[in-house]
Amino acid sequence: MPPKKPSLYSLDKTHVAFAVSGLILLIGLVWMVLQDSSREWKGWQRKYMALMKERAQAELKETQSRMNAEELKKLHAELADAKSTAAQHRAEIKSAQNALDQIAHRFNKVKTEYQDLKQFQDSDRYFYEEYAEHHEEEKARAYDKRMKDREGELARAKLKFEQVSAEKEAGEAAVKAWTGREQELAKKITAMELDLTLAQSKISKFTPSLAKEILNAPMLDFIHPTLQIQQIVVEKLQDDYYFAKAQKVDRCITCHLGIDQKGLENAPQPFRTHPNLDLFLSSNSPHKLEEIGCTTCHGGSGQSVSFTTAAHTPRSPEQAQEWKKKHGWQALEFWADKMLPLNHVEASCAKCHTGTVDVPQAPKLNEGRRLVTEYGCTGCHKVEGMDRWKVGPSLTHVQSKLDADWIVRWLQNPKEFRHSTKMPRIFHLSNTDDPESQDRNNAAISGIAAYLMKNSDPVTLTAPAVKGNAENGKALVESVGCLGCHTVGGLSANHHGPELSGLGSKVKPEWLYSWLKDPKHYSPNTRMPSLRLNDQEASDITAFLLADHNEKFESNRPPYVKPEAVADLAVNFLTGTMRHEDALKNLNSMSAEEQLEFVGAKMIAHQGCFGCHDIKGFEEAKPIGTELTYEGTKDLSRFDFAFSEIPRTKQAWIFQKIKEPRAYDHGKVKPYFEKLKMPNFEFSDAQADAITTFVLSLQKADIPLEMQKVLDSREKQTEAGRLLVEKMNCQGCHTVDGVEGRVRAIIEDAGNAPPILDGEGKKVREKWLYHFLKEPTPIRPWLKYRMPTFALSDQDTNTLVTYFNHLSDVHERYVADEMPATTPEHLAQGGPLFTQLQCIKCHQVNADAALSASFLAPDLKMSKDRLRPDWILDWLKDPQAVQEGTMMPGFFPDGQSPLPDILNGDATEQIRAIRDYLMVFNPDEKPAAAAAGAKDRENTAT
Amino acid sequence: MNKGLKTFAVLIAAAYALSQPAWAASVKGAVAFTGTAPAGKPVNMAADPTCAAQHKTPQMSEEVVVNSNNTLKNVFVYVKTGLEGKTFPVPAEPVSFDQSGCHYMPHVVGVMVGQPFQIINSDSTLHNVHSLSKESKQFNLGMPIKGMKIKKTFEKPEIMAKVKCDVHPWMNAYIGVLSHPFYAVSGEDGSFEIKDLPPGTYTLEAWQETLGTKTAEITVPESGEIPAVQFSFGS
Repeated sequence: MPPKKPSLYSLDKTHVAFAVSGLILLIGLVWMVLQDSSREWKGWQRKYMALMKERAQAELKETQSRMNAEELKKLHAELADAKSTAAQHRAEIKSAQNALDQIAHRFNKVKTEYQDLKQFQDSDRYFYEEYAEHHEEEKARAYDKRMKDREGELARAKLKFEQVSAEKEAGEAAVKAWTGREQELAKKITAMELDLTLAQSKISKFTPSLAKEILNAPMLDFIHPTLQIQQIVVEKLQDDYYFAKAQKVDRCITCHLGIDQKGLENAPQPFRTHPNLDLFLSSNSPHKLEEIGCTTCHGGSGQSVSFTTAAHTPRSPEQAQEWKKKHGWQALEFWADKMLPLNHVEASCAKCHTGTVDVPQAPKLNEGRRLVTEYGCTGCHKVEGMDRWKVGPSLTHVQSKLDADWIVRWLQNPKEFRHSTKMPRIFHLSNTDDPESQDRNNAAISGIAAYLMKNSDPVTLTAPAVKGNAENGKALVESVGCLGCHTVGGLSANHHGPELSGLGSKVKPEWLYSWLKDPKHYSPNTRMPSLRLNDQEASDITAFLLADHNEKFESNRPPYVKPEAVADLAVNFLTGTMRHEDALKNLNSMSAEEQLEFVGAKMIAHQGCFGCHDIKGFEEAKPIGTELTYEGTKDLSRFDFAFSEIPRTKQAWIFQKIKEPRAYDHGKVKPYFEKLKMPNFEFSDAQADAITTFVLSLQKADIPLEMQKVLDSREKQTEAGRLLVEKMNCQGCHTVDGVEGRVRAIIEDAGNAPPILDGEGKKVREKWLYHFLKEPTPIRPWLKYRMPTFALSDQDTNTLVTYFNHLSDVHERYVADEMPATTPEHLAQGGPLFTQLQCIKCHQVNADAALSASFLAPDLKMSKDRLRPDWILDWLKDPQAVQEGTMMPGFFPDGQSPLPDILNGDATEQIRAIRDYLMVFNPDEKPAAAAAGAKDRENTAT
Repeated sequence: MNKGLKTFAVLIAAAYALSQPAWAASVKGAVAFTGTAPAGKPVNMAADPTCAAQHKTPQMSEEVVVNSNNTLKNVFVYVKTGLEGKTFPVPAEPVSFDQSGCHYMPHVVGVMVGQPFQIINSDSTLHNVHSLSKESKQFNLGMPIKGMKIKKTFEKPEIMAKVKCDVHPWMNAYIGVLSHPFYAVSGEDGSFEIKDLPPGTYTLEAWQETLGTKTAEITVPESGEIPAVQFSFGS
């Protein structure tokens, strides 16, 4: 052993150090590889396999129990028996098979011979026919001869072919006699066991095995792993990563494996089936998985495959807690586009569905949009593409309606006068309820009242013409149509207009009477229509409505207004444009009254009252709120959560803002004029939630045009009609466009309800409808509900006419005046039919309504101008089919006429005759003139 | 019909007769009324002279008709429970429902599901029969010709299907639609009789248009008498 060389370090120790560090590195490497390969999603996929295996096993069990085990056993026994029989006769089978083989060989030969000859013969026949046709006799004869020469040979070949065919069949039968039974049994068994085999193969597919484990093993899993990331590449959509755009790739289905599979509706998450496969994901739905992906609607990080990084958003704090425990979930601080919680997912519909009043099958979004319209949010907050009307009453003549004292008490807290009012509370809210702010609030309120009194014009009012009877007034309110918009007492079907309560504590009889007689007189732009009340009716209703007082409100006294608070506000406003010293000078030059009015004007501008009300001096004022056009895609960092303790999400912020608009001022020190000023509407949680969904839907989405719902001109016109129908609350009374007339809920006998307007476009003529909408006249004498006079503009009237046409799928226009072609016979028989069917019994002309008002039907004089000829045919054929529950009886049940002597008793012809007769029917006209008119029509018809 | 078929039909009939319980009883009873009879509302037929001309005396509405012996007319009495799961042949004989003197005759009537319901107009004025049934398909038939007849059927049992005439607002009637034939309507003397009820325990219900319903438990023994059933309504 050579002596150790002297060295600077100990070799042995170095070896040890190397060995140890090598080992540590190796362990580190293994640990790293294992760590890298054990991903969250693999766990889910394994669980999914286990779940599917379990289900396949259950399926197998179910199949087995369903199967007729007895019979299967018998078949198996028979098969074994058949097999053993065959085995015993192996020699015979073999010789039979050999014999068949030989025959088959011969068969092929004679078949070929026969087919060849036949082809030659066919070919010759072709040439023969060709030459014969072209009169080339010689050549034709030559071919004819060849055919004749071959005939014998062909006949022999055919005979032989048939003989050998028969031999072959016999040979086959001989073989089959030995083996046929076995084959038949095997086939039967396979058919019976098909479901079983399928289930078994499913089970093996989902059963883990060593081979699969190897394929999924770290370092080998690049070859062909059974656990794989699943993804959808959405071709037409892109994700915006601020500085770069990338094609949308959604990997959600890596874990949500059953999302498009039927049958997993009750499976645990993440494997559950999507709740609406008819509308989403499936290949025949309008939103196919491969075209839309997942995150387009749900948001979140589509490329991520872990629970937290996919940016799942909990629906509630409780769910957040649950997720933290179960999945180690945490909110992703630096990912802006978090998933929408399920309760707001409808917000995404608006990415593609724009320009319609409602989005189909998105009830919450629609409810939110409806609330935003109803409460006039757009009066302050601009939303591109959402032009709405001012929802509050005009205040340009308010001095004729209210006094300053009432306005002051009202503005203190509108809900104290009427709980259901849509007017929000503006003053004395959480950020302005300290004593100093309260003084300022009271000064501001008095200022507003003073300004409105000074800056509104009086209108002439008429006192009730006769003494009103409150009891009759009540009956009228409940029957003429007020309930189509208003809630009165306990009768509530609509809250489109204000609830008619406490009016005795609000307005004077002359104002209410004048208003009822002609609402446009006081307020030209009001949506309140005229019900054409006569003097007595208007007086009665006035008496009834004014009898209701709000005593609590009446006992309220206006608060004391400190002059220094008024001065303080005025100076604050003045210093906005001038130096403090000048402001004081300016203030001193104003009288106390002028100071109040000045403060009022400034306060109206500050609070944006003109967003809902017409106010003199603010005709051109711009809305004061934040524009909300893209609020849903605004950066989270731009929402000021201040000191609030809500989750840092947009939906939480918006919800809070709607519920408690001044909440974000809590804990902040701000001057009076810089405080948040959004008023409190006192929305319920459900309402605030729906509005939140709507606000979240206001997005700047990067969706290519071809993927958006683009409206054609007809759809645009229909939507314009829908908006008008909403504005005028047509569905408050009428059933139309899939909504039941709301007032129907409180009318017992459907026969007394305002008419159903489904199919109206098909029913009435355009011109008639236009004039009727402009100036309604009674059609149904028994109906107490009146179609109000809305004083619609020409444009709005046309919009409605077009809307009804589109809803009924009526395309052609300019045919409205055309009369149907008729024949003298039809015209002549129409009269007798009309008499014998006793139409006039109900359709009385110029009837005495007092005598029999309960059963009068529309005056048929109107028919020719009002009704479309084709509709009359449908109507007469089966009135119940056109309008369920109608009082109009069918006279032709099952297409049978009760009058066999007219027009051969043919119901269709009789209906036509009645229709044609109605088109000339005019009981006021002399019969001769009617006949002449008919003659003219006859001529035009021919 | 040939002879073979005839024999066959006779055999079937015989077999059917034998399959019926040997004893089937009649349940008899009456509907009493206590208290003061409500004053009827007069019907004004002036709107249709054809109707008015048919009556010399003033006509009263038919919500509650109290007979002279303090019993109620037009009460529908039927077996409500106790026949579950049993089926009964539907008579081919139609139930007749007449419009005469601008009244429905009868005002209360029973019919079996599927049994023809023959509606007749004996008036020379227009009537319409407007069914407001909640269970069966509604119909509204105009009957302008005197003597006109239309047959209808009801698809589902219903207590009671209302029928009205929109031409003559005072005209209405109630139809009890049942899946069995065990019902009766109390008559001019307040009595009723439900025939051929097989032995068993039943709940009878008496239905009156405005006074509501009353029930009674009865047992039909294998043999012997059944005590009369008394219903009593008060004002």
